[in-house]
Amino acid sequence: MPDAPFVTPELLGRVARGDRAAFAELYRLASPKLFPVALRITQRRDLAEEVLQESFVAVWNQAASYDPVKGSPLIWMTTIVRHRAIDQRRRRSNLADATAGSDEALLALVAGESDRADRGAELAALSRCLDQLEPQPRQAVLLAYVHGYTHEELAGRLATPIGTIKSWVRRSLERLKRCLDG
Amino acid sequence: MKYDDPKLRELLAGRYVLGTMPRRARARFDRLIAEDAAFCADVREWAEIFAPIDAAEAPVAPPQRVWRAIETQLGPARAPAAPARGSWFDSLWLWRGATGFAAAVAVALLVYIGVFATQETPPMPTVVAVLSDSKSGAPAWIARSGRDDQVTVSALGRQTIDAGHSFQLWAIAGGPPRPLGLLSPVPGRGIAIPSSAVPPTGGVLAVSLEPAGGSPTGQPTGPVLFQGKVFSNPL
Repeated sequence: MPDAPFVTPELLGRVARGDRAAFAELYRLASPKLFPVALRITQRRDLAEEVLQESFVAVWNQAASYDPVKGSPLIWMTTIVRHRAIDQRRRRSNLADATAGSDEALLALVAGESDRADRGAELAALSRCLDQLEPQPRQAVLLAYVHGYTHEELAGRLATPIGTIKSWVRRSLERLKRCLDG
Repeated sequence: MKYDDPKLRELLAGRYVLGTMPRRARARFDRLIAEDAAFCADVREWAEIFAPIDAAEAPVAPPQRVWRAIETQLGPARAPAAPARGSWFDSLWLWRGATGFAAAVAVALLVYIGVFATQETPPMPTVVAVLSDSKSGAPAWIARSGRDDQVTVSALGRQTIDAGHSFQLWAIAGGPPRPLGLLSPVPGRGIAIPSSAVPPTGGVLAVSLEPAGGSPTGQPTGPVLFQGKVFSNPL
């Protein structure tokens, strides 16, 4: 299957030079990939729309600071969206605990079908390495990445002291890195 | 905080990408990323590790009103940024009338030497070339100049290759390709080559698929999988 149209560093370079048409094209290509990320973390459509809007204005303003060293343009933009979505989520006082999926549901997502073969291989590698973690630390890492949980929220949800949560996250990151580099 | 400890840096970058870093710490980390390429590389590695989770999401187009709201916030189209050297060059130009042309040239030379000598002390890595997939056009390898007259070539994302093959890097500038070394498919494990081996601006860096250990003939024998023009000569 041919690759979806690609968000290239060149396109982002044109955005950095103030090219509105390039920015419209960037939005057309990237927004359908970034919107689900905002939806997943904020769990609310109106807030996800707000996050996407803020993020693209930030992309327009910060495009000149993009450097391929920071990863592909889509990865760079995903980080911007994720952080804004997480901030949006943290601002809400009553975080609906019910919205977070169970460990099984999260793992199903990670092990889920992907229609792009290359992504499938990367996802399989990540999934294999996540499987090597103990169940609770794995759940902590997934809740943090997939739903934007803070250390405090993880402590509450997993009924575990915050110090333990922090060391789970640290050890899990170290183990993931070793597993994926190996 | 000892930010030069690679283990600590890696952990901080991991928490930054994972999203568990408190907001203020993250803002501080954003400034570190802007200043230090080593942080950039750590962040990129983590972002690439977790990216498949986001890529597995089915695309959802946002409603039209989001784009309309973005457009109202963009402000007027920007002019390209002025070259960084403009300010001191302009001020020198003004001196010219007062001090005479010869004196101005002498001062300009001194300033020139001074500015460029001091600019070299913090070696900011500059991108020398981005090598893209010959088929999809996706950027796959990056060549950056850094310290000690060396250029580092590393994978932007994990590349897949079987044990029977190697990625071999070549310099192409007019004559036959010159072999530069075997590349690691793992991001962050770049190979260093002397800047003098990199083709001048407009030349090409290419990666071919070769038998494990590299081409037996000294010339590419397999397909050219990636290539990119040198757009900034490190010398």
